[in-house]
Amino acid sequence: MPPQVVQVAAGARRILPGVTASARRRTRTIGQRERGMFIAFLAPGVLVAIGTIFLPVIYAIHLSFFKAESFISTPIFVGLGNYAQMLSDPLFWIDFANSIAYSIITVALQVVVGVAVAMVLHQEFVGRNLLRGAALAPYILPTVVAAFVWKWLLDASHGLVDAGLLALGLPLVDWFGAYWTAWISIIFVSVWLWAPFVTITFLAGLQTVPDELYEAAELDGAGRWHRFIHITLPVLKPVLMVIVLLRGIFMFSKFDIIWLLTGGGPLQATETLPILAYRKTFATFDVGGGAAVACAMFLFMSGAMSLYFYLFPLDDSQ
Amino acid sequence: MKRRRSPAAKIGLAAVVALVAIYALFPLYWMIISGLRDRPHLYDPKLTPGPFALSSYNTLFGLTDFPTYFMNSVFVSIITTILTVLISVPMAYALVRSQLPGRMLIVRSMLFAYMFPALLLALPIDIFLVRAGLDGTLIGLSVVYLSFTLPLSVWLLWSFFKGFPFAIEEAALVDGCTRLQAVCRVILPIISPAVVTVTIFAFLLAWSDFVFSLILITNDSQRTVPFGLVAIIDMYDTDWGVLMAGATLASIPLIALFMFLSRYFVTGLSMGAVK
Repeated sequence: MPPQVVQVAAGARRILPGVTASARRRTRTIGQRERGMFIAFLAPGVLVAIGTIFLPVIYAIHLSFFKAESFISTPIFVGLGNYAQMLSDPLFWIDFANSIAYSIITVALQVVVGVAVAMVLHQEFVGRNLLRGAALAPYILPTVVAAFVWKWLLDASHGLVDAGLLALGLPLVDWFGAYWTAWISIIFVSVWLWAPFVTITFLAGLQTVPDELYEAAELDGAGRWHRFIHITLPVLKPVLMVIVLLRGIFMFSKFDIIWLLTGGGPLQATETLPILAYRKTFATFDVGGGAAVACAMFLFMSGAMSLYFYLFPLDDSQ
Repeated sequence: MKRRRSPAAKIGLAAVVALVAIYALFPLYWMIISGLRDRPHLYDPKLTPGPFALSSYNTLFGLTDFPTYFMNSVFVSIITTILTVLISVPMAYALVRSQLPGRMLIVRSMLFAYMFPALLLALPIDIFLVRAGLDGTLIGLSVVYLSFTLPLSVWLLWSFFKGFPFAIEEAALVDGCTRLQAVCRVILPIISPAVVTVTIFAFLLAWSDFVFSLILITNDSQRTVPFGLVAIIDMYDTDWGVLMAGATLASIPLIALFMFLSRYFVTGLSMGAVK
């Protein structure tokens, strides 16, 4: 506030004390009435969040300390028994490593594919908006649809991909039948489905890079690749960090795409932690053991989420 | 930045553009034409569409429970969407406009909760419901879906609302409106694009969910489309023609929304609304 205005305001308050006092009193009653309204606005959402998010998480933690042979049998308190058993099970560590590898590899490939597609969509050409829409299409599909379409394309006996290999005289591949091919298929489909998130975010970022930077670099004789490495990437580094962290958190806990494509097979070759938690709970009815795996995942992911909040604090300013 | 391209560069760009289009769209194209292909020719490795026949769709509608699954999905998605919007809009408004202590804690918990793995919530909810004898009903499923649609909506709306010129509602208040009248006459028109975005994503997330329905729905007649497609595989062996017909129908509502409301979609998608 400029000094004159402050003086005038102070002067007005000195001249008209009664007016401002009554105004203040009125504001306070409005404030109280509004407080009630705001609380009423918040209450349903807070209650739903407590019922569907907070209490289930607490219940999962509670279950992880009990042993139960089935959903309805009486649980027995075993303390950290489920965790001890989980940590001494080599399968847990294999699945943990699988989850980490799956998220690192798929996030890295999503970034490469997503950024490459964004660079293409940033060029000027006829039908660019149409292609931008088309490039996002996989991302809006239900995971089940994407999984089934690719299962059909990669089907070992009737799929189009193997028909193509046959036509080219190449050996046929059983895409979901062996360790490496199953992993390659899962990773490929995951990247196809979720790379558009990188494309759309990176594309939005590209529009914020000032043209002058590129023009200056061009005058200095920098080629396309040089401009990309020395201007685009450094300017968009914060955008890329958000992408990598968010996608990493989401990919680490992916259950449906792997479950639908391979079910964790062949012979648990492509099993990750979410699949282990599901299998323990519903195949062996080890409710406590499944809850322990889910809680371990939660603990690990909370670390990643805290890192996200630390690096990208929420901005409360309006 | 305008620049003139050499013919070679033009051809190169056209080739890359075509490649991107094929990469993104070919699987969808293959899904659609496989569903429409005459069944004796289903396994022909022929890239052009046809010969056309509706036999896969006839099987889907006549011999499977797909119509039930579809109506279940419509019901659950609409209920979830309505509840999400009714709860999240006032909530986000209060989070932006009130000075209540702990409001940032709520915003932060919402974003935090949105990153939770679905299994972490679905497993305990299911075990609780089974023990309480309240196994999955469609209404129950709609309410459970709020565990991810609500955090997303509150988070999106909070981000949008921060940027809105809410000061004009003060003008309305000065003009003698109550806060509620100000909200209805002044605020609702401004926020409607944000509400459209949230409506779309609540619907999309509920429509696409597989994990919660897999875990919570036990009765075949209560399956939604994503879980229902899995049931069709289990029951009728793997019939790719029928499955692709079902997958096409499962995608149509989302693709239609995307084509007609793409600008609302893009803002939400770029904020990570789809995990």
